[in-house]
Amino acid sequence: MNYPVWELPMGGGVLIAIVSILHVFVSHFAVGGGLWLVITERHARRTGDDGLLAVVRMHSRVFLLVTLVFGAISGVGIWFTIALVSPSAVSALIHAYLWGWAMEWTFFVVEIAAAMVYWYGWDRLDARTHAIVGWIYFVAAWASLAIINGIVTFMLTPGGWLQGHDFWTGFFNPTYFPSLVARTAFSLVQAGLFALVTAAFLPRTPLRAWCVRYNAAWVLVATLAGAASGLWYRAAFPGWSEAMLGALPILPVVTRWLVLGTAALALLSLWPLLQPRRWRVVGAVPLVAAALLVFATAEWAREAGRKPFTIHGYMYSTGLRVADEPLVAAEGLLAHTSWVDPAAITAGDPVRLGGELYRNHCAPCHTMDGYNGLRRWLTLADEATIAGILPRLAVLRGRMPAWHGNPAETGALAAWLATRRSTESPVPTGATQARRQAWDVSCGLCHTTDGYRPLRDSLAGQSRDDLAALVDSIQDLTDEMPPYSADEAQRERLLDYLAELAATPAGGGAAIAKGATP
Amino acid sequence: MISPVLPFIPAPDALPLPAPAPLLQALLLLTFTLHLVAMNALVGGAVLAVWLRRPGADRQGEAARTATRIGKVLPVCVAAAVSFGVAPLLFLQALYGRWFFTSSVLMAWPWFAVVPLLIMAYYGTYLESFRGTRLGRLRTPLGAVTAAVFLLVALIYVNNTTLMLRPESWPQLHFGNPGGLQGHTGEPQLLPRWLHMMFGAVAVAGLLLALWGQRRRATDGPGGMHMRRLGLGALWTGTLANTLAGTWYLLALAPGVRPAFLGGSGHATGLLGLGVFLAAGLLILGWRAWRRETVALAPVTVTAVLALVVMVAMRDAVRGLYLARHGQAPAAAVETQGLNIAIFAALLLGAVATIWWMLRQFARPAK
Ligand code: HEC
Ligand code: HEC
Repeated sequence: MNYPVWELPMGGGVLIAIVSILHVFVSHFAVGGGLWLVITERHARRTGDDGLLAVVRMHSRVFLLVTLVFGAISGVGIWFTIALVSPSAVSALIHAYLWGWAMEWTFFVVEIAAAMVYWYGWDRLDARTHAIVGWIYFVAAWASLAIINGIVTFMLTPGGWLQGHDFWTGFFNPTYFPSLVARTAFSLVQAGLFALVTAAFLPRTPLRAWCVRYNAAWVLVATLAGAASGLWYRAAFPGWSEAMLGALPILPVVTRWLVLGTAALALLSLWPLLQPRRWRVVGAVPLVAAALLVFATAEWAREAGRKPFTIHGYMYSTGLRVADEPLVAAEGLLAHTSWVDPAAITAGDPVRLGGELYRNHCAPCHTMDGYNGLRRWLTLADEATIAGILPRLAVLRGRMPAWHGNPAETGALAAWLATRRSTESPVPTGATQARRQAWDVSCGLCHTTDGYRPLRDSLAGQSRDDLAALVDSIQDLTDEMPPYSADEAQRERLLDYLAELAATPAGGGAAIAKGATP
Repeated sequence: MISPVLPFIPAPDALPLPAPAPLLQALLLLTFTLHLVAMNALVGGAVLAVWLRRPGADRQGEAARTATRIGKVLPVCVAAAVSFGVAPLLFLQALYGRWFFTSSVLMAWPWFAVVPLLIMAYYGTYLESFRGTRLGRLRTPLGAVTAAVFLLVALIYVNNTTLMLRPESWPQLHFGNPGGLQGHTGEPQLLPRWLHMMFGAVAVAGLLLALWGQRRRATDGPGGMHMRRLGLGALWTGTLANTLAGTWYLLALAPGVRPAFLGGSGHATGLLGLGVFLAAGLLILGWRAWRRETVALAPVTVTAVLALVVMVAMRDAVRGLYLARHGQAPAAAVETQGLNIAIFAALLLGAVATIWWMLRQFARPAK
């Protein structure tokens, strides 16, 4: 509301996702890999195994190249990216957690220095000193993770911080420990996984078989630990069960992939564990893919679960603070939006002003044709429907901030949105899909069939005429529902869908529900 | 005093600053100075290595060996520049986030591009460091591209840190292209300020190289001598070029800012006078050391460090004067987090001690 919004066709969220998934994938490796190095080096020295020591040494070089370069710079990259996409949130974090970041920085510097001394010190340091430097690296890397974890989980579950803004209350928040355990576990997964890949390239000797089995054990044990902590995490996740019922359409989908990825990691690691001699590098491809899937979906679930906030309960993705909501609702949005083109104000053209409102209040989460794209919905809605939905955005599944525009602002935004409609009909050719879509863009915006705000039971047994009467008068049932309006064909398709729903009792096997989970 | 652009300057954050502004300012300037030294070693070193491998240069002699030596340490310089860069970025955002976040968004793509560019250039330094001669004919072009990317990154930084001082340019830039695919290329400070920084980088890197060469003379006479001579030459030439770039920079300052350095403000004018004095000192002392190999390097080193500190202070003064053009910004509230500052200080001490210990172990003769 204070800062300009970067107009990004792909959506800021997608850019953040790309940068952070890559970073998280590598930076967890940076932590777990540190432990792998020191433990494996110690084992090699104790058993006098020079071959294994050479493996560790080769590893530490790749380590330098992967974690120090890509890991460190992409970490700065996340910081850059979120500051570009959510400057208000980063400003808030900088104020609340400046000293947290500063503490993290001290570990970051030690971590980098230690990684360099460890690598450049293979021939200069005696074995004991070298090992100590390795431990310094690991402890600093883990401490850095433990601090960032505090700030990242704070954004999801600030807990008691919301009252009184106490640093440590927000830091050790309800998801702090489960998340810390999960991140530590998956950092060890990464370490084992990476070593499993490089082990595939070793000459076929007993050492290779030993390495393969050893690293597979890292992956398996750490994956199981990570899975357990995931369950713990879930218990502290805000609004988990409601979201899984479909209040947050994306969450059940992402969670399913997360579970699949974790299971795949555990199962796939059995091959190298049980058949180390048969291990080949192709086996690493699905393993690495599974790990990437786990990291991507876990981060995504966290981001999705935080919606519509950047700091849960404190600030929305649009930069609006919860505490300012009453004032904004009273005085109107434009009065509280700094970055409105003065030319649009002078022109007094409502459509242009609507575009300004969109950029400031919708674009932080939506695109037209990409991620969370609105064009399909807009094309199927008329201007009255759009204007009817706007005041009810907070009711929709998907968790949006409430719309605080006054009637003129609502009209302006609706008028602008109406200009974004496509001339091509987005209605699918298949009759079933077309009916399904008629539901998705109307009742399905807020209801599911069997999960969140379920309709199946309320509609059960109603005739098509009953349903038509219902659809035409839903606005009388509750203020939260806007009147339904659509062209005749679209309305018919919706009625077909509802009739089918009304005729199929729950558990009747009709897999037609959007986001419906038992 | 309220100018029409003021509505675009964000209000102070609703949350209080977690420390008094002067403390944050001091930490900003301190860590930024460290960052500058590392950045100068990096950028200046990369440029010098390219110079040593310029077409027609001797590929076998001391020049080539010095270039290789520089190439070996550049990755460490990147690591140091990044490590020491994170902290000032943090304090800058705490103190000047309202301006800095805004200007970043306005030039979002170039600013974002810093990340992939740095990763590329960082790998470039490692390729040179680890593969060296094995790069064959690619070696020289690789070094040139790497250096060019670092120079470009510096240009983007200068662009952002000057755009943040220019709220009057913001609306036009943003509403003209909300996609952020632009820099603020019309900024009069841009080129002279960047040149000033880059010449300074060559000078400081030259001095560091000379100090390294001086130490090396004990074990490797010709090599050490070459490094010393080359380094002092770079120091002198860079400083001379900087007197020109500095003058241009002074002239490029906004009309409301320049007079402060020409008598308008005691603080600013004093800093400028001191800077000119130190630059003259550097030229004289640097010349003597460059021409006569027995001259000790301590005086020129001390002068250079002082000059660097004065430049950092002057840069800070420029920022303050620019921001003050639009009236006094409302001050942010402060709620000092004493305990956390103490923890940070303790951790910082621990970090310095740990790194010191590790470097000591490393510097001991190999077993
Ligand atoms: C905090 C982020 C956020 C903001 C801000 C936001 N939305 Fe949404 N919106 C969502 C999410 C998430 C969904 C659900 C998408 C899904 O189905 O998974 C959604 C869904 C919608 C839908 C339903 C689209 C469909 O195809 O099902 C409409 C319409 C919509 N938003 C309009 C708006 C408008 C207009 C604004 C600006 C006033 C806005 N939103 C602001 C996050 C946001
Ligand atoms: C903007 C969101 C929204 C849209 C769109 C919407 N509803 Fe609702 N509906 C609600 C809310 C909120 C309630 C209140 C009850 C609740 O919270 O479960 C409700 C309640 C109902 C009820 C009564 C409660 C019950 O479960 O029996 C029916 C029936 C109903 N809606 C049908 C529909 C139909 C049919 C459509 C599509 C034509 C529709 N709704 C579209 C939000 C919406």
